[in-house]
Amino acid sequence: MSSIPAIDANALTKAYPNGRGCQDVTLTVGKGEAFGFLGPNGAGKSTFVKMLVGLISPTDGQASILGHPLGSIEAKMKIGYLPELYRYQDWLTGEEVVRLHAKLCRIPKSVMDQRIPQLLQEVGIGLRGGDRVKHYSKGMQQRLGLACALVNDPEILFLDEPSSALDPIGRMEVRKILQRLKERGITIFLNSHLLEDVEVLCDRMALLSNGAVLRHGKVAEMLNKRTNWHFKVGGYTPFLLSWLNEHTGLTIRQSVPAAGKSGYDPAQEGESDSSIVWLAAELDHEEQAGWLNGLMVQQGMTLYQVIRQTERLEDWFMDAVAGLSHRGEKE
Amino acid sequence: MRTILAMTWKEMLRKKVMLLTLLLTVVFLIAFWFVADTVGRNDPNTGTLGNGNGLFMQYMNGAFILSLGFFFGAFVIAFLAIFSSFSVIAGEAEQGVMQALLPRPLPRWKWYLGRWLGFVTLGTIYALILFTAILLITSAHANVPRDAAVLVKSFLLFASVVPLLISVSMLGSGLFSALGNGVFMTMLYGAGFLGGMVDKLSGSLRLEDDGLKVLNNLTGMISMIMPADTLQRRMTVELFSLKDLNGMVSMNSGALTLMNFNSFPSNTFVVYAVIYTVVIFGLGLLRFQRKDL
Repeated sequence: MSSIPAIDANALTKAYPNGRGCQDVTLTVGKGEAFGFLGPNGAGKSTFVKMLVGLISPTDGQASILGHPLGSIEAKMKIGYLPELYRYQDWLTGEEVVRLHAKLCRIPKSVMDQRIPQLLQEVGIGLRGGDRVKHYSKGMQQRLGLACALVNDPEILFLDEPSSALDPIGRMEVRKILQRLKERGITIFLNSHLLEDVEVLCDRMALLSNGAVLRHGKVAEMLNKRTNWHFKVGGYTPFLLSWLNEHTGLTIRQSVPAAGKSGYDPAQEGESDSSIVWLAAELDHEEQAGWLNGLMVQQGMTLYQVIRQTERLEDWFMDAVAGLSHRGEKE
Repeated sequence: MRTILAMTWKEMLRKKVMLLTLLLTVVFLIAFWFVADTVGRNDPNTGTLGNGNGLFMQYMNGAFILSLGFFFGAFVIAFLAIFSSFSVIAGEAEQGVMQALLPRPLPRWKWYLGRWLGFVTLGTIYALILFTAILLITSAHANVPRDAAVLVKSFLLFASVVPLLISVSMLGSGLFSALGNGVFMTMLYGAGFLGGMVDKLSGSLRLEDDGLKVLNNLTGMISMIMPADTLQRRMTVELFSLKDLNGMVSMNSGALTLMNFNSFPSNTFVVYAVIYTVVIFGLGLLRFQRKDL
């Protein structure tokens, strides 16, 4: 297998006179990888993607797509792109739009005739492919955009907010399509505000802020996915907590779960009773939780509720950009 | 490139641009028929071999009718050329159509040339239909030139404003917003038309030589910036062989007012217009190659 990365950007820069754009973005995406590109609005994510697909020229730095220079025909042959803000020719039908893209990709007619109806079915357009695009909702246009991006069976798929206009069912469907594409070994570069999509789909990610990469790495490592377990117990005394810490070697503390997560609702808590508290511990696996439960009951405590909470990408994202000054979308 | 060319044709047909243009053209041609009929009845019918003045009057009637037809025709093909192409880059970029299309494996120059050829071919076909219809209607009511070489040369000059205006319009579309370019192109063409009118009227104003020279310089400069109207005047000159008539009859009176010129656009000017079109096309292409979308 060749060691040429799918995307290789080295200090890629687009400087605009107003100071926007992105600076010195260096990242590598391997073949078959799903890469998430995150950042607040106006961080420069779309600018970076547009450089990669050849819509805008970098002012500095270098990058290649599967070893081919940015904007070259060879690079464009291998990519599919769903832009963030786009419209298709509203005087064409959905099927004609996909066919137009297929022709530009030099796909033989026999292949087109077979692939296009399948694609329209897969993205959820189906028989409405015969309707003019002007009659499509925004969500339908987004599905059409996905069909166009996939028509040339790309090796790398660039998606700029692929499900921003979709309803929850549509988002789920798109996520499933992307999962299937990932399983087929297609490289996915996902620029999304929907952090859940990135968390579920991506292997690695980068966080862009004010045009520069703030952090990048494997999703699991960056999230440092340790699980917090919360135990609501009765018959608590400080002595019992010391005993548990000493006996288990874990760090167990008094801590209320984060509201809204894993079904915890502070409003449903009963009247305060100093002997009923929430204890929390960071555990690696479920067996530890079971063992801890047993010890608590052994020591005379009553176990009322157990909640498992994992740090979500949203928390990580907020932590990462907290306290930073963001230039935002406007001057 | 053929795909883009075909897409352009389909766009013009689906958006009913051509249909509306053709419908309005039919309305114009019906009105033109009645105008030609009315003017044609004014034929002195004295065109005998012994009466040169009668022949000249017959010629004048035909020339007047044709001038009216081409006066309108020049407007229509100019506006068709401008309004079909003024938003082709800026408009599509603003709407986001281009962002989806240009990452495809198609060199930008092919996209640009495909669009240009699409607009130019449709505009030229329309110009041919209009040119032929005006000639046929006029020939039913008065004498028209029948020399094939004259007709071909006249048509080429008549249709030459299509590639010229589309080249300027596409360059403008790469530089300005869609709305800004629409206003810019209308004003630019209007300035060229105004220059032509000043040129036509200045001959009948009986100005002093100095005043005439100033006006000539002014209209010359306008023609250099926007040669469309001057090309149309050259078309009229070719069609009616006005160069041959110059000096034989007064060009400042009667039915010749519409084609009355202080000076006939020279061959050098036609060459200038061709170079102008090529350079503007090249600049537009260059601009598009480097444009961030």
